[in-house]
Amino acid sequence: MTQPIDESIYTAVTVAIQAEAQRILSEGLVTAVVGYASARRKGSTQPIVITDAALAEKLIFTPACVNNLAVYLTKAKKEIPKTGRIGIVVKGCDLKALVGLMGESQLKREDLYLIGVPCIGVLGSIIQPDTAFTSDSIAPKCRECDAHLPLGCDFVPSQQPITPELEKKYAAEIDRLEAMTPAERWAYWKEQFSKCIKCYACRQVCPFCFCEQCLCDRNKPQMVETTPRPAGNFAWHIVRAMHLTGRCAGCAECERACPMDIPLNLLNRKMAKELKDLYEYEAGFEVNAKGPLTMFTEKDDQSFIK
Amino acid sequence: MSRIGVFICHCGENISRTVDVARVAAEVGKLPGVAFSTDYKYMCSDPGQTLLKKTIQDQKLSHVVVAACSPRMHERTFRKAVEAAGLNPFLCEMANIREHCSWVHENIEEATVKATEIVGMMVERVKKNRVLPTITVPVTKRSLVIGGGIAGIQAALDIADGGHEVILVEREPSIGGHMAQLSETFPTLDCSQCIMTPKMVDVANHPKITLYTYSEIELVEGYIGNFQITIRKKARSVDEDKCTGCGVCMTKCPIKKIPNKFDCNLGMRPAIYVPFPQAVPNTPVIDRDNCTKFKTGKCGLCQKVCGPGAVDYEQEDTLIVEPVGAIVVATGFDLYTIAEKPKGSPIKGYGEFGHGKIPDVIDGMTFERLASASGPTGGKILRPSDGKEPKQIVFIQCIGSRAREKGISYCSKVCCMYTAKHTMLYHHKVHDGQAYVFFMDARTPGKSYDEFWRRSIEEEEAVYIRGMVSRLYQKGKKIVVMGSDIAVGVQVEIEADMVVLATAIQPQAGADTLAQKLGISYDKYNFYSEAHAKLRPVECATAGIYLAGACQGPKDIPDTVSQASAAAAKVMALFSKDKLEREPIVARVKESACVGCFACKKVCAYGAIEEKEIRDRQGNLVKVVAYVNPGVCSGCGTCQATCPSKCVELDGYTDEQIVAMIEAL
Repeated sequence: MTQPIDESIYTAVTVAIQAEAQRILSEGLVTAVVGYASARRKGSTQPIVITDAALAEKLIFTPACVNNLAVYLTKAKKEIPKTGRIGIVVKGCDLKALVGLMGESQLKREDLYLIGVPCIGVLGSIIQPDTAFTSDSIAPKCRECDAHLPLGCDFVPSQQPITPELEKKYAAEIDRLEAMTPAERWAYWKEQFSKCIKCYACRQVCPFCFCEQCLCDRNKPQMVETTPRPAGNFAWHIVRAMHLTGRCAGCAECERACPMDIPLNLLNRKMAKELKDLYEYEAGFEVNAKGPLTMFTEKDDQSFIK
Repeated sequence: MSRIGVFICHCGENISRTVDVARVAAEVGKLPGVAFSTDYKYMCSDPGQTLLKKTIQDQKLSHVVVAACSPRMHERTFRKAVEAAGLNPFLCEMANIREHCSWVHENIEEATVKATEIVGMMVERVKKNRVLPTITVPVTKRSLVIGGGIAGIQAALDIADGGHEVILVEREPSIGGHMAQLSETFPTLDCSQCIMTPKMVDVANHPKITLYTYSEIELVEGYIGNFQITIRKKARSVDEDKCTGCGVCMTKCPIKKIPNKFDCNLGMRPAIYVPFPQAVPNTPVIDRDNCTKFKTGKCGLCQKVCGPGAVDYEQEDTLIVEPVGAIVVATGFDLYTIAEKPKGSPIKGYGEFGHGKIPDVIDGMTFERLASASGPTGGKILRPSDGKEPKQIVFIQCIGSRAREKGISYCSKVCCMYTAKHTMLYHHKVHDGQAYVFFMDARTPGKSYDEFWRRSIEEEEAVYIRGMVSRLYQKGKKIVVMGSDIAVGVQVEIEADMVVLATAIQPQAGADTLAQKLGISYDKYNFYSEAHAKLRPVECATAGIYLAGACQGPKDIPDTVSQASAAAAKVMALFSKDKLEREPIVARVKESACVGCFACKKVCAYGAIEEKEIRDRQGNLVKVVAYVNPGVCSGCGTCQATCPSKCVELDGYTDEQIVAMIEAL
């Protein structure tokens, strides 16, 4: 049954972040603030970079603020010039990406001013204008979110997000896939990947795909076939899943950006579950010098060595 | 255009028996870029190498592929030959058509096709080989010796006498190892302590030897010529600089009934102790598990009576970092504890022999302590149960050893000789006693060894019974030994006063953990593996690490000492040069593509990856990228496999080369 979700805190959060952005820009604490602003279509938002304190009132926070802004701070996307300390509006899920980027020497904490936003959730899609925020339209990732309130930020508005209990869709889907035989599972992913048109939107929107030269673009020797044929599609999605294992914290931007509706975050969540089971590791909570896949301990599972 | 020369080796008959080498040569001769191909009986022989060198010059070859054995065997040989002919040695590759082909196949037709494909792959790979300059690295002319038994002592003394510094690390409070526990030694029956202790003192006094006892290896970093060793010096609770070794603390310690491991738990020692009177260093250690002060906080008597104030209850473990250029591993052996099945081990125990249950069933080392003049009985052979002299004694050989069904198939090598020695020691001390020996075979090769064994039978009246014992049981004060004499074909039953078991020799507990720290290989029993069973018996496959003594396999004292000196000679050969030449098979970073995520740095086991700043002409920082220090890199390729954007390449194994090989298939 569709239930409306109370979105009153978003207005209060908007007021608080506007004031904070205005303050840090006018005091010269930061050279720019990355946040969200209203977009042309009614009810939708778009990322914005503000360098003038007077424009801070453009910042908003609504359930339509779907983007993970961390991507704009990465090298490959280079959207934000490196001119000094940058302020950034972050949801709990986006913060996990920033934490990961810090662990991989891509960002330094002291170069960032983190404006954390308390968040109940965001919309699964903003393609339809002015979508109502309900238990149906909320993004699947927000149903199992464990970071409604971002921790360790420089500023967080005082509002407390009250989250309704919702069914966990990824967990249920993983259970369904795990119950399949390997052949059935192969068939499932084969069908999903066959839809891929190799637009690489998943790569472009991912904060962890920060390589300046992706190995999939290499042609001497060619690592991954570039045309959207089944073998090359499989290769690309396996490379993507493996490269994100232990790093992806589930912002689900890949899944949102995918024009072919491939359940990319499902694959990411499955890999994250494997890591949690094997190494009791969850990405995005602290800046780690080493992740479980880049180190060896005697406790590591070695049952695969026969 | 490449002018590749391909040389197919027959390896006597090892390859040509299953591979039609002439056909392989003809087939690969047709490949684009191959200017010359031939086959020859023994490519590694002098005429074979001469053929290679002459052909390079006559045919003006640009690259060489030798199809023969594993590159681990002869890559260096052929690269040297290629270099002598004026080509860069890294323009030569080996195709392994022996281990990978002829040895594992029977069908000549199929093996020939496979060999042709293997060679074809290497032809494609070698086309993309680059000229690589040899890397030279400095050599730290200090050596680490792990283990202070006779092997470690001998190696340390030889290296130190050769003029190089030695760091000797021993886990126990004193050096000496098992040899210090022995009573007399075969085949000359000279007292072990008498020949051992002078060497121990030499170690302590040698200006070139730094001794760390009661210490363990914590961490090994680096590579040949440049290791960094972190040593954990366990808290002794006694200041070694202040202690004079007077021993007052030991006499005053109120806890006196702790079984002494050195005496195989027959004798007792206090909580503050030296394991034996001749210990080096003669500095006591507090056994914190048994000391009243550490258990309850009360007592503190040893500190009160210590004149120089050396007792320090607050002492903590310290970590010491020592740079060394070479490592000798001499961790020795332990005896198979037969009473029970070790946890998680495929080795089954010998519960049926009552070891650990019947007090007068002892192992060989315990007999050594009973026979030793400095032992718990002052050299009298007495039963542990009631202190009486055993008049009938039974020795049983091959307990654990050579028993596949019990988990150990190897021969422990020293038991035949030491059991013969035991019968003599027994006969010398108990004139009216009778010794019986149950044995499978007497294995006595070695100088004066067989004569020694014969003497135990012919002059010392030991009765040798060929056959195994099926059962032992206590009957009153006697132990009934039931066995068979297969030479006569009868069942034998002996009522013995004492039974001595020649239990198998095993590597020290924790040998596998140490091997993992050192990065050396070990077999299924945890014995360390040498680089080549016949031709490189004292070297590990890991460069700069050498083996001495029983940690590599069961050995007697003469063999152990020989191997220790051999390891020392290897170390000194390494130290004879100021610079070491290293293979330039190292990783390189393509800096234009590197985004500096340093995943490579996280996985590098050698600490070879550094952060390098890229600046523009004005000096502004453009980015920070990974840089591989070629002196440190050992070419394992882990960084190459880890790099998400594939911007690390391993020279000689580039992606381009691997893909070329795959495409040649």
